[in-house]
Parts: sequence; structure tokens; C-alpha cells
Amino acid sequence: MKQGLLINVEKCVGCGGCVMACKRHNGTGRGVYWCNVITKEEGTYPNVRKVMLPVGCQHCENAPCVRACPTGASHYDEEGNVQVDFDKCIGCRMCMGACPYHARSFNWGSTVDNPHYEGQPPTAYDEACAERHPVGVVEKCTRCVDLTRAGKVPACVQTCPAEARVFGDLDDPDSEISRKINDLHAKCLMEEYGTKPSVYYVGLE
Amino acid sequence: MDQKRFPNTLIAVFAVLTAIGVGCWIYQLAVGLQVTGMSNMNSWGTYIIMFMFFVGLSAGGLIVASSAHVFNIDKFKKVALPAVIVSTVSICLAAMFVLVDLGGFTKVWRLLSGPNFESPLMWDVVVISLYLAINILDIVFITRGEEHKVKVLSCYALPTAILVHSVTAWIFGLQISRTWYTAIMAPIFVASACDSGLALLLLCLMVLETRGLFATGKALFKSLSGLLAVFIAVDAYLIGCELLTMGYPGAGDAAALSIMTSGATAPFFWFEIVFGLLVPFVILVVSKNREKRGLIAVASVLVVLGVLCKRIWLLLTAFAAPYATGASVVSDAMAADALSFGAVGAFYTPTLMEIAIVIGVLSLGVLLFMLLSNALFGKKQTASTAHAASDIASQEA
Repeated sequence: MKQGLLINVEKCVGCGGCVMACKRHNGTGRGVYWCNVITKEEGTYPNVRKVMLPVGCQHCENAPCVRACPTGASHYDEEGNVQVDFDKCIGCRMCMGACPYHARSFNWGSTVDNPHYEGQPPTAYDEACAERHPVGVVEKCTRCVDLTRAGKVPACVQTCPAEARVFGDLDDPDSEISRKINDLHAKCLMEEYGTKPSVYYVGLE
Repeated sequence: MDQKRFPNTLIAVFAVLTAIGVGCWIYQLAVGLQVTGMSNMNSWGTYIIMFMFFVGLSAGGLIVASSAHVFNIDKFKKVALPAVIVSTVSICLAAMFVLVDLGGFTKVWRLLSGPNFESPLMWDVVVISLYLAINILDIVFITRGEEHKVKVLSCYALPTAILVHSVTAWIFGLQISRTWYTAIMAPIFVASACDSGLALLLLCLMVLETRGLFATGKALFKSLSGLLAVFIAVDAYLIGCELLTMGYPGAGDAAALSIMTSGATAPFFWFEIVFGLLVPFVILVVSKNREKRGLIAVASVLVVLGVLCKRIWLLLTAFAAPYATGASVVSDAMAADALSFGAVGAFYTPTLMEIAIVIGVLSLGVLLFMLLSNALFGKKQTASTAHAASDIASQEA
């Protein structure tokens, strides 16, 4: 079993639903985006267009972050995903320098000190989130391991209204994701680095 | 010249600065690294700049000290002890700068309980520990006058000193997606260790001589500063090679190069090129100037500051140009994502708290240097230093 994600950029409307679903499910702090959508406007009026690129941890098979981690806090789990063990993370941020995808964020302070409503006292939600996001460790997309191990799909996949995201088993050649990767000629981000991501994109230029 | 120790008032001043730094560090431990100017976009800052800087200062000193014994350069052997003291203090500071940068200082034992030897940071932990042990042994052997043991140890000290700064370079140089990713990174680090380390040693020797703690002598200052000129030239050559390789294709790293030459890190880059390499080289390449204490001091200060600037542009340019190497639309979009949900891309400025912690660690270094010098040179003037002191008195008369 090797979990993978296919993102069809041609279908993405840039609504940011995945970003919000991720934040709601994982309770990440203000300014932390395990799932993000990079948007960019190109050209000059009237020849303009908007480019969308959903990004996040690429859960690489040859992950530079796992290599760089001095304590083994960043590791591969049974599904082939890259996870961070907060107990082992000493917060050196080697992995952040190593990751080509800018997928990792560091908990610079507590979510209680930085509530979601800036300038307001922390809400009960902020306080509940603080326990899940200890200060001084590096974190990133877990591919919603709590959901997938319960037989569900990650929050971003569940939410996407354009059905631009397909989650599944890369080891199974008959799975929807494997077929679509083949049929739609999906590619990975920055393949030249040889990181072998398990996130595939359709419609990249 | 009658004072044979660093005075207690000076020691007290630095002790207070150290205490303030420790206080700030405890506060940082309590609330997290949010007190610094670092961000997810610029995930390393002043602490790591100082870490690189001090590993270099340390390696440079020991490379000179151990070369004297390995290659039997008799006249340089005399400064071996001050060189090793500078080296020991510097490596302690380097280690401290990494420790204050950690998000999980209390979990630092995890490095020992579950080391991942694929990580260059783990290599650095091993090499710095070994290096510190060699430094301390070196001090013991030199002060006991065990010449043979010093010679044998120096044969291990020299490669370890080169390795310690190479490994530090590899922490950065092996990160495939950053502008640091270049095979020349380790040689650049070693070259800049040699010039900055020797320059710091010259400055420390001047301080020790003014305090009457250790006499270096005019002739030795002249030949050491001649060596410094050579080191500066090697450093400049390697930087030139790297810049040409970055800029020539007009693609890829050329974007990072333009950040260095005309962007956010340009002031540091040009300071190093002009005042850190060019000016000191021009000063020291003239034989007559190497006889003037003031000019040697100016050149040395410039070299040390120049290498500090190098550490700054080296580290921060990579964060300012994070996706310069992959020139596809994708990377382009990632670099310029002002419209994204999580806006990133702010440039780094250290906070007061960060600066106070840095001053605290630096003060601890000055304190350690003064206490070690007082202990090793202050109590009893050895026959040779007393002799050298009278030499200088007669020379300068």
C-alpha cells in the first residue's frame, strides 16, 4: 500500500475549500497552511489569466527532509507517507531547509499566544488546537492519517467541490488514481530533484 | 604594559552582558522562537549565521596552530597556545549558537538516543565534539610542554579542523533545492575559516600583547599577516569561481546572484567583496604595511567583518530566492505568491531579543577568553614569553 494524491490543476477553481477543510480538521495555527493554494495572475489586460497551484507535503519516496533530520523525527510511515514524531523533533529546522516544496512550518509560538482572531483573546478552539501543535517543533501535512486509517479520505479530498483531488493506492494498478495518472499523463512537481513525490499533478505547464 | 591580567572590572562587565543574554534565552525557552525575527519562509536567522561564523573562526585558528607542528614551521609554533585558546572558545560559542536556535532544547538528548547518521547536522554533532576534545587536549599538552604529544595530536587536529568547517558547509551545501547546493561550498567555508580565523588570532594576539600577557613580536606579526594576505586571496578566488558559475548561464542561479548584487542581501555582499577581501588584501600585500601594527589591525578587523557579511548573504540569499533553481512556472509561482492564502516572502530582520541573546553568547566568549588567558598566561610568565617581551622592548625602543 502506497498512498498517493492526484491533483487536477485544470479542474481547480482556486476556491480554497481544501485549505479551509485542512485547517478545520487539523486545527493548525494562524499563518500555518499544511494545504495551500498558490494563485498567480498572469498577463496584462485584456489578456490575463489566473494560475492555481494547490501545494502541500508531497510525501516523497526519497524525501530530503527525512534524510536531513538528525534525530529520525521525520520518518516514513506504513503507508509510505512522511510523518513527524513531535517527541523526537528538536526543532533544528534542517528539514525546512531541505524541503524543495516549502511544505513545512515551525511552531514559533503557541496558538494561544497567536489566536486566529488577531488581537482578541484566544478562543476555546485556539486552546484546543494548542495541545495538538506543541511549540518548537516542525509540522506539516499528515495526509489526515487519522481519517485514512479509519477508511476515509483526507479532508482536502473530501471537500474539493471541483473533484480536482483523487486519493488512493499507487501500488494498485487498477485504482482510480493509478489509472488517471497514466491516462492523463500526470507529473510531479520539480521532478528534476529526484525526490519521487507521491503527489501527482495534471495540467502543469 | 605593566598589567599582566585582564582586570576584574572588564570581566564583570561581560559577566553582566552574559547574564542579560541568559535571561533573554530563558524567556525565549518559555514562549518559543516567536520572539525572533525568523519565519517559515526564512527559517534560519542570526543564530545560524553566528554558528557558521564561529565554526570558521575556530577552525582557522586551529589550522594555523596545528600546521605549525605538522609542517614544522618553528616560528608559528610560538602562537600555538593562544591560537588553540581562540579556537576552543570559538567552537564553544558555535555550539551554543546552535543550542539557542533549537525549538526543543530540552529534547536535545534525542541526538544521542536516536541519531540519524544520514543527516549532516548529526555529522556536525560528532565532528564538533571530537574537535572540542582535541582542542582541550591540545591546551593541556601545550601548557605541560609535551612537545611530542602536541605534534602527534596536531596531525589529527589539522584534518579535523578542515573537516569541522566542511561538515558545517555540508549542512547547507547538500540541500538540493537551495542556492547553497554547490560542491564548492566546503572549500569556500574552509578558505573563509582560514582568513577570518587567522585575522581573529592576530587581533587576540594584539590584545594579549597590549595587556602584557603574551608577546608575539614584530617579525611574527609580519609573517602571520603575510599568510593572511594569501588566505584572503584564496578566499576571493573561490568566491569568484562560484559567482561566475552562478551568473554565466544567465539562468537558474542568476536570480539568486542578482539578489546578492542588487537585492536584499547586496549590502552584505558588497561589503565583503570591497572591505572584506579587496581592501585588506591591498593593505597586506605591501610588505611595509605588514610592519605597521595599526594597519594589520585594520585589515584583520575588516577580514573578520567581511566573513561575517559572507555568512549573512550566504544564508539569507537562499531564503530570499528559495526556488531560483527550478525555473518552471511552478517554482516561479511558489516564489511570487503574494496572492496565496498563506502569504510568505517577507525578508528577515532580527529582533532585539535575538540580538540580546547573541550579545550574551558573544560576551560569554569574551569572558571565557579572558579567564583562560588569565589562567594560562597571567599567573606565571614563562621564560620564553618574558624573553620575547624583552626582545620586543628592545626592538621597539
